[in-house]
Amino acid sequence: MNEKKAMQAARRRSLTFTLVRGAAAIGIALLVAAVLIFVSADGDRLAHTGEALRQLLIGPLFRSNGSINVKNICDVLAAMIPTIFTGLATCVMFSANQFNLGAEGGIMLGAFVSALFAVYVPLPAGVLPVVAVLAAAAAVSVMMLIPAVLKAKLGVSEMVNSLMLNYVVMYLIKYLLNTHLADKTKGQIQSYPFQEQARIAPLIDNGSMLTWGFVIALIFVVLTSLFMYRTRWGYGIRMIGINQDFARYSGMNVAAIVILSQVLGGALAGIGGGVEMLGRYSAYSWNALPGYGWTGITVAILAGNNPAFVPLAAFFMAYLNKGCLLMSTYCGVPSQLIDILQAVIFVFFAAKQFLAKYRQRLVVKGAQEELAAQKAAAAEAAAETAEGSVK
Amino acid sequence: MAEEYVVQMKGITKVYPNGIAANQDVDFNVRKGEIHALMGENGAGKSTLMKMLFGLEQPTSGEIWVNGEKVNLSSPAVAISKGIGMVHQHFMLVPSLTVAENMVLGMVPKKSGLFIDQKKAVEITEEYSRKFNLEVDPNAKVMDIPVGMKQKVEILKALVRGAKILILDEPTAVLTTQETTELFRELVNLKNQGYTLIFISHKLNEIMEITDRMTILRGGKSMGVHETKDVTAEEISRLMVGRDVVLKVQKDKAQPGDEVLRVRDLEYVNEWGKKMLDKVSFSLRRGEILGIAGVEGNGQKELVDMLFHLNVPNAGTATVNGENILGVSQRKIREKGVSLVPEDRMLYGIAGAASIQENMIADRCGSKRLNKGPMFDMKSIHAEVDQLIQDYTVLCKSGSQRVDNLSGGNIQKVVVAREFSNNPCLIIADQPTRGIDVGATEFIRKKLVELSRAGVAVLLVSADLNEVMELSDSLMVMCGGRIAAYFEDTSELSDEVMGEYMLGLKRQTPEEVRRVCHE
Repeated sequence: MNEKKAMQAARRRSLTFTLVRGAAAIGIALLVAAVLIFVSADGDRLAHTGEALRQLLIGPLFRSNGSINVKNICDVLAAMIPTIFTGLATCVMFSANQFNLGAEGGIMLGAFVSALFAVYVPLPAGVLPVVAVLAAAAAVSVMMLIPAVLKAKLGVSEMVNSLMLNYVVMYLIKYLLNTHLADKTKGQIQSYPFQEQARIAPLIDNGSMLTWGFVIALIFVVLTSLFMYRTRWGYGIRMIGINQDFARYSGMNVAAIVILSQVLGGALAGIGGGVEMLGRYSAYSWNALPGYGWTGITVAILAGNNPAFVPLAAFFMAYLNKGCLLMSTYCGVPSQLIDILQAVIFVFFAAKQFLAKYRQRLVVKGAQEELAAQKAAAAEAAAETAEGSVK
Repeated sequence: MAEEYVVQMKGITKVYPNGIAANQDVDFNVRKGEIHALMGENGAGKSTLMKMLFGLEQPTSGEIWVNGEKVNLSSPAVAISKGIGMVHQHFMLVPSLTVAENMVLGMVPKKSGLFIDQKKAVEITEEYSRKFNLEVDPNAKVMDIPVGMKQKVEILKALVRGAKILILDEPTAVLTTQETTELFRELVNLKNQGYTLIFISHKLNEIMEITDRMTILRGGKSMGVHETKDVTAEEISRLMVGRDVVLKVQKDKAQPGDEVLRVRDLEYVNEWGKKMLDKVSFSLRRGEILGIAGVEGNGQKELVDMLFHLNVPNAGTATVNGENILGVSQRKIREKGVSLVPEDRMLYGIAGAASIQENMIADRCGSKRLNKGPMFDMKSIHAEVDQLIQDYTVLCKSGSQRVDNLSGGNIQKVVVAREFSNNPCLIIADQPTRGIDVGATEFIRKKLVELSRAGVAVLLVSADLNEVMELSDSLMVMCGGRIAAYFEDTSELSDEVMGEYMLGLKRQTPEEVRRVCHE
């Protein structure tokens, strides 16, 4: 019983620490933002800064008259869909200590492949989106085989390979789209329109692009969590991530797991690309890397490579983005500030030693409490035996 | 009489960031010119206490006084300036530099302000070597000199830096009997010259032999200070572990059965062209513990690496129950019933950031009884792990605790629990009790004997002479990559004889050695 209490106390302490640390990181970033806005503003600087920060912090939630802004909230949730998938993909790969950065090209390839199915493959409603998304997953899995097999068999750095692969994929898609697949009747380079039955239906019909894709993303969060923590393959992935020598010595097939983790990451990124493309667009028009893969890396790191925390991290990033967008739209704050802000928050989150002294104090306190409790228990026991002997 | 103490540590408490209270209100006082033992099981807080005295760690609370002056030892540099030196268990030397260069590292004598004055460095080394009667070869590269000499270099290094108080962290752990005797002579010599020595050790007989007083730690607390001449080995062991440790292992005579492991003409040349294994042949039978003794670096590590495919030999064969195990994946080796307690438990034995549970199921995570379809059967995993924790008395809060938060002895119990519980027919135990506490050591040794008597073949590799001689039914000595000697019955062996074979002074004839093949 006591042990359980001690474990809970320890868990509570680590949660307290995580929250305080996160709040402190955001606080410092806001302070930096405030200073920058204040310096760059014209006229009444104080009022201007106040309004800008208001937009950043609660703009995504409330209108200026105080009522709840459903459309904005839906926008934020919709923006989470692709980054949840890339975040999950990165979690799986990083957990295996495979620093594969291919989720960026992966989500683009996934979007493209599912778009091809949506345009050209005549399948009935209900079947087409599923097939298109699965095909996307398969395509990106195959793409990830390149860095994965090279790493497992030849020891080539998967980081360099996957990073370069992103651009190979992007230019390949651009080439195919420009030369063979473009709808020549349109003013911009894009594919022919998707068949109507290929689209993923909206969840709320308010023009926010919040589709059933959001629900699918959350289902995949649960599936990925279960996979990583409740199956032998996910276990293997985590073990080779912690100590590859140990995994090998224990009889795990390290090369197979290295490949598996990246193929799986590819599948997740591919599904993300498909779901995003079929939910948000009616024709394929991505001409450059969409950036969701990079955000996914940030999300995975914020989530500590734990799939369960990915939605939280994705929400945080989406909210921050929306807030910054509103801030630049309504208050004329330069959009570059967004990047600075994100960078500052990120630096403090990623810094292992940030607030380490505070953690130490928490831990010391905990240990002392535990010792005191032990002493008290011992004293009680002693008193009881003394009583017993008196009787 | 505070003046008589050169070191006073008062009420020292140290809490590590992972929440472990390594020291609780410890008082530690050392008189000038004595050899003071610091004893305790692993995880008792000896190393932590000494790290604080050497400035590697800072106490959470408490005071340190050196020579009657309160000091704040914020780094080893400060500790050195106060006359404190430390000889680490794992030598802190640069292998590719010469002895003299290592001696003057960080305080290099310069020639015309720019170049290293090699001659001066050698002179300094020779001067100190003579003064303290610690013989070293100033011009030899550290990687070429034997362990015993490396240790002397470490001691001299501390002395050159003006140390008057020397902390020796398990100095005899890597030495042969002869080298230990020599070290003790040198330590007594230092003591007679007025130096103060703090001696960390697990080995009772050594403590009894050379120390004046001792402080015993248990569970991070001091169990008091004792005059060595007033206490017996049994009393000390009781104070250390709080119960009587049986220092002898009880075991019946072995009844060797069929051959399990068969190794023939194994050869290995390492990447620097040195022949590490030279035609090693032996057989190991059911129900038998075959010990491999030898000074470290004589091929034992390489032999174990070959047998578990952590390395590939140049020639030779090895079979388990008639099936080849060389160059076969670890999974296949394990399927044949081979278990390994690895020498380096932090590298191979555990995944540090994972939980005890995750570490215990590593070799069986794919087994039917722990899986339900594609998913883990968490209930049977918990049940199995809880049973193992109980059977192997792993001291922990629960199976979900991180394994690297445990003490060395308990980490090793986790490794052993996993390796002993998967129905092995052959256990390779490489330094199974190195650097762990008396309680865990005794437990693991008992388990090994128990398993061997139940029919498991055990190959025991250990640098701890006591251990191999106590546990093994029969014994091989490795020297220079070859089997230098084989003793069918260990009970009539003496340390001195062993030492001669280990150091290569003697070697049995090929016919005598060939007996280990049981042909």
